[in-house]
Amino acid sequence: MTETHCPYCALQCAQTLRGEPLAAEPRAFPTNVGGMCQKGWTSAEVLGVADRITAPLRRVGGGFEAVSWDEALDDIASRVTAISGESGPDAIAVFGGGGLTNEKAYQLGKFARLALRTRNIDYNGRFCMSSAAAAANRSLGVDRGLPFPLTDLNDADVVVLLGSNLADTMPPAVQHLGPVRERGGLIVVDPRRSATARLTDGGAGEHVQLVPGTDLVLLLGLLHIVLAEGLADVDYLAARVDGVEDVRRSVAEWWPERVAATTGVPETQLRRIARTLAHASPHGGGRGAFLLTGRGSEQHADGTDTVTAVINLALALGLVGAERGGYGAITGQGNGQGGREHGQKADQLPGYRMIADPAAREHVAAVWGVDPDVIPGPGVPAVELLMSLAQPDGPRALFVHGSNLLVSSPDAQVVRRRVEALDLVVVCDFVPSETAMLADYVLPVTQWAEEEGTMTGLEGRVLRRRKAVDPPAGVWSELEVFAELARRLDAPGTWSTKPREVYDELRRASAGGRADYAGISYERLDAGEALYWPCPDESHPGTPRLFADAFPTANGRARMVPVREVGPDDGLRAEAPVWLVTGRVLQHYQSGAQTRRVARLNDSMPRAYVEIHPVLAARIGVEGVDDIRITSKRGSMVAQARVSPDIRPDTVFVPFHFADEGMVNAVTNAATDPISGMPEFKVCAVQIAKEDA
Amino acid sequence: MKVVVVGAGMVGNRFVDELGRLAPQVEIDLLGDESYEPYNRVMLTELIAGRVDLAGLTLPTPDHGRVRVRAGVRALEIDRERRTVVTADGDFAYDVLVLATGAQARVIPVPGLRDGLPRGAHVVRRLDDARDITAATLNASDAVVIGAGPLGVEAACALRHRGIAVTLVAASDLLNRDLDPEVASVAADQAASLGIEVVTDAQVASVGVHAGRVDAVHLADGRTFPAGIVVLACGSAPDTTLAAEAGLDTNVGIVVGHDLRTPADLAVCAIGDCAETPAGVSGLVAPGWAQARALARSIAHASELELPTVAGSAMRLKAVGMSVVTMGARTSTARPDDRVVTLSDRRERRHVELVVRGDTLVGVTCVGAPDLAAHLSTQFDRPGMLPADPMHLLMGTSGIGATESASPTAMPAATTVCRCNGVTKGDLVHAWDGGATTVEALADATLATTGCGGCTQLVCGIVDWLQTTDPPPVPTTSQPDGSGRETTVPTR
Ligand SMILES: Cc1cc2nc3c(=O)[nH]c(=O)nc-3n(C[C@H](O)[C@H](O)[C@H](O)COP(=O)(O)OP(=O)(O)OC[C@H]3O[C@@H](n4cnc5c(N)ncnc54)[C@H](O)[C@@H]3O)c2cc1C
Ligand code: SF4
Repeated sequence: MTETHCPYCALQCAQTLRGEPLAAEPRAFPTNVGGMCQKGWTSAEVLGVADRITAPLRRVGGGFEAVSWDEALDDIASRVTAISGESGPDAIAVFGGGGLTNEKAYQLGKFARLALRTRNIDYNGRFCMSSAAAAANRSLGVDRGLPFPLTDLNDADVVVLLGSNLADTMPPAVQHLGPVRERGGLIVVDPRRSATARLTDGGAGEHVQLVPGTDLVLLLGLLHIVLAEGLADVDYLAARVDGVEDVRRSVAEWWPERVAATTGVPETQLRRIARTLAHASPHGGGRGAFLLTGRGSEQHADGTDTVTAVINLALALGLVGAERGGYGAITGQGNGQGGREHGQKADQLPGYRMIADPAAREHVAAVWGVDPDVIPGPGVPAVELLMSLAQPDGPRALFVHGSNLLVSSPDAQVVRRRVEALDLVVVCDFVPSETAMLADYVLPVTQWAEEEGTMTGLEGRVLRRRKAVDPPAGVWSELEVFAELARRLDAPGTWSTKPREVYDELRRASAGGRADYAGISYERLDAGEALYWPCPDESHPGTPRLFADAFPTANGRARMVPVREVGPDDGLRAEAPVWLVTGRVLQHYQSGAQTRRVARLNDSMPRAYVEIHPVLAARIGVEGVDDIRITSKRGSMVAQARVSPDIRPDTVFVPFHFADEGMVNAVTNAATDPISGMPEFKVCAVQIAKEDA
Repeated sequence: MKVVVVGAGMVGNRFVDELGRLAPQVEIDLLGDESYEPYNRVMLTELIAGRVDLAGLTLPTPDHGRVRVRAGVRALEIDRERRTVVTADGDFAYDVLVLATGAQARVIPVPGLRDGLPRGAHVVRRLDDARDITAATLNASDAVVIGAGPLGVEAACALRHRGIAVTLVAASDLLNRDLDPEVASVAADQAASLGIEVVTDAQVASVGVHAGRVDAVHLADGRTFPAGIVVLACGSAPDTTLAAEAGLDTNVGIVVGHDLRTPADLAVCAIGDCAETPAGVSGLVAPGWAQARALARSIAHASELELPTVAGSAMRLKAVGMSVVTMGARTSTARPDDRVVTLSDRRERRHVELVVRGDTLVGVTCVGAPDLAAHLSTQFDRPGMLPADPMHLLMGTSGIGATESASPTAMPAATTVCRCNGVTKGDLVHAWDGGATTVEALADATLATTGCGGCTQLVCGIVDWLQTTDPPPVPTTSQPDGSGRETTVPTR
């Protein structure tokens, strides 16, 4: 029997693995309260999938042949050496993932910098958390998805979910909304009447069904009302926040009638929500309010500014750092939090240190036992990195870890062409994902129940992942891959293959950084302590709630930042008169590389679909189960219609887990947020038509 | 390059902000004769209503290094020879001069108002006007608002909101520029329901003044309304004085071409309420902002300017207690082959009107229907993909409401009961048939209720329903038998 956590999303439901064949059951734990969704229940089935890779594969012609590890690694090392000898080390790129354990993410960052010597590393979290991260860092001085335990939601009067469909993406978390729904205080902002939006039915709260891509305007409008009607917490603002005046002016232009015309949200509803929030806030005598964002409001070309607007609102109401209430981002990927703290990001070193900061470089270099000058400078964010592949002066080789970027990247057709043009592609995966199928080498690696490590859940609490079974013969852990390649590449530093040793090194590297893990040991975690970073030493209890006394900014105050409305990059026009929004479904996780291989999940959701309003369906002559073709400036896709009144009549929705002709990311827009590099997945303009059978 | 902007109103200020962002090398002086920092004029009636305070009106100060905002500096003269603007605080040289002097409120020339405004009589154009009116409400108990355009209606509602007895007098129907007569009467009903006395067909003969203060408004037909406050909302006229004195061409407004420049002097531009473009004068903020952006771009990029068209400018009343939104065409202005769909609900003081031309929604009128107004605003002038039947537009985002039955009996077998684990009612019935006859046993057999627990109630309902329709052979207990999966192991 092994106590661990689910392999998939950031809720990291606690589970017990036992039996033969191994099966997963939920365990009581504060975040999942004894619950688990279909993905968790069926997680053990991925261990035994028929197409599990158990030997390194080398491309020969159109197929693959199995080779020995030595042969594979020798060849990879010599090709890397040759390419970087010819074109410099930056010709090798690395693409990581938010599902990797802290140990692997840390070691991957170190591998890129010390063994490959490249600055070109980034990860798929860029498609996920980067806008929220950039905004939180800018305003609050630190980025921890939820700066409070998830269970705090139970006490609140109001919880606002902006662009988060957690009833589908992490169903057990819905339990924490129970009390607030009883108080009628759940507010869900979503262009769709999603499963989460339906939780507001029956007096449990309200659904704000705005025009896609207008989240920022909605928030500017709410803040306008809060300030205009004198609903702000002026004492809190005076004591703890800078920049109020500039922000007050910036929202003066967004009076409710104007906001209503842009967002489609009636003025009456805007005023009601603003007042509800104020009454729920501490200064209004309430039990607290939480504003939570998900990818729906973040995955826009103005995502960072949208999150900033949420933070501005939360600050105006005195919520951030209040005993009850706050702002948070709901992390998506299993280790989306830890994965962005320890060096996979182009501009960062472990502990959320900035790579351009000389003091940070010195500290990390000392832990790594190298000269600071050895560490390369900042690279470029994911979309830019992917688009630069195989371009003149761009990278010629790519290492992929824990990412199926061929399906998950925006404008995915272009990304495919870029990857195909590379000289060397090495993919570490346990199944032949769409990306692996393009590789020159596929290296088979362990999956969750076969390895030890740590994950950092959506609340910033560090969790232990534990090994329940031995990996199949021929499968290695990525730590072994890094060590063996580092040796072949004559890399400096030490390259342990033991998760615990790597983690202890991570603790030292993160010590004193923003995400300080120094005091969080395997021993303490195994003893059952609930440890949230920062935790600077082993006697420190960890920090479940941030900002109680001060903000980790230069002057200890939070900063309100004025933001401007820009609107979607790809707007409606006669050739593209319908909005497309994308998202997840309950049955699948990310690019579906794992969940599409679980029969019980795949049978209930085998292919993509197009959610479309009956009025719009009638308009294009679609009935029942017809196929719909969606076309944008970039590409097109086909999937079956799912006619539903839950979506706006001017919008269609497609889940993004699927490949081939149902791959919606062939259509989405690769325009990115100028600050975070986040692509605009969530909204673009498309043409739709019935596809003749 | 040096750019001088005269008029620090909504459009002048926006222009400076845009230009400052696009062309950081340009030096800009923004001259405004009002002593305040640029503020949001559109919200002045909200200030009177008390729904916003002064600080909430202040607009963002363009802060791009080379922008100087000079409040309280009036441009007295333009010396086009020397390319200089003359003020009491010195001269400002320019390469490009942008006039954004806005408009001035019109004062009707009736006895009582001919020699300047007496105390108690106010126009509503500037912040000082709004502050004066607000101050006056402290001592007055009744007010007459003259003019039934949006400004008059907003002012009347604002004063009413402050508890003042308000009479709205006008020569025309309420909002007659935006509403057809029948619809106007629906709006008038709304105003009346707030306690505003609406008097249309009224010719104001004079304003009674006693001891230098207004005390009444007299109509030509002999009626008299007592008035501690008189608000003049009788329209406005572009402020062209400065341009006319500089020898520039003026008509209703300052005449400019497609490039927003005056034909006589290409170094001078005009934007906002004061400008008369080939499309005419506007009087609304959206077209002014579009002009500001277009002009800023063309100056910054030294490029051709394309006169922005602002589609069928919208009127959205900002009045406490009333909701009127119009845009584009209406019944009386629709073309013969347009489709006009009307919803009339007089008793609720509600009226909705849509005009559909080909595949585009080209007209919206919503009186007393704020929710629908918000939705229709987002559909207005959207190209293509309107519902095949325009009537569906009246149903907002929900369209045809389909509510699922939540009763266990009526629910189809394929209905998903437990979303987390994808368990349908059919699956539960099947498990029941297989002997799982308690909630706990069903949970074990199907995993229903083991995710978020949200379906527990529904599963209990189904158990109750099955108990009555298909009772199990052996009596059941509601207690788990202990062999069920234990999900509540305490945390380590
Ligand atoms: C109460 C009210 C409500 C309104 N509501 C709406 C609405 O809901 N929607 C809408 O679209 N429009 C509305 N309007 C109209 C809108 O305010 C105007 O369209 C807009 O303000 C025009 O901007 P502007 O910059 O051209 O002129 P203004 O905002 O009038 O600014 C011109 C500025 O120039 C200054 N000035 C003039 N001459 C000189 C000089 N010689 N030297 C220095 N400074 C000078 C003036 O004092 C003034 O400050 C409303 C207007 C009012 C008064
Ligand atoms: S996918 Fe997420 S919600 Fe579902 S069981 Fe796993 S951790 Fe829990």
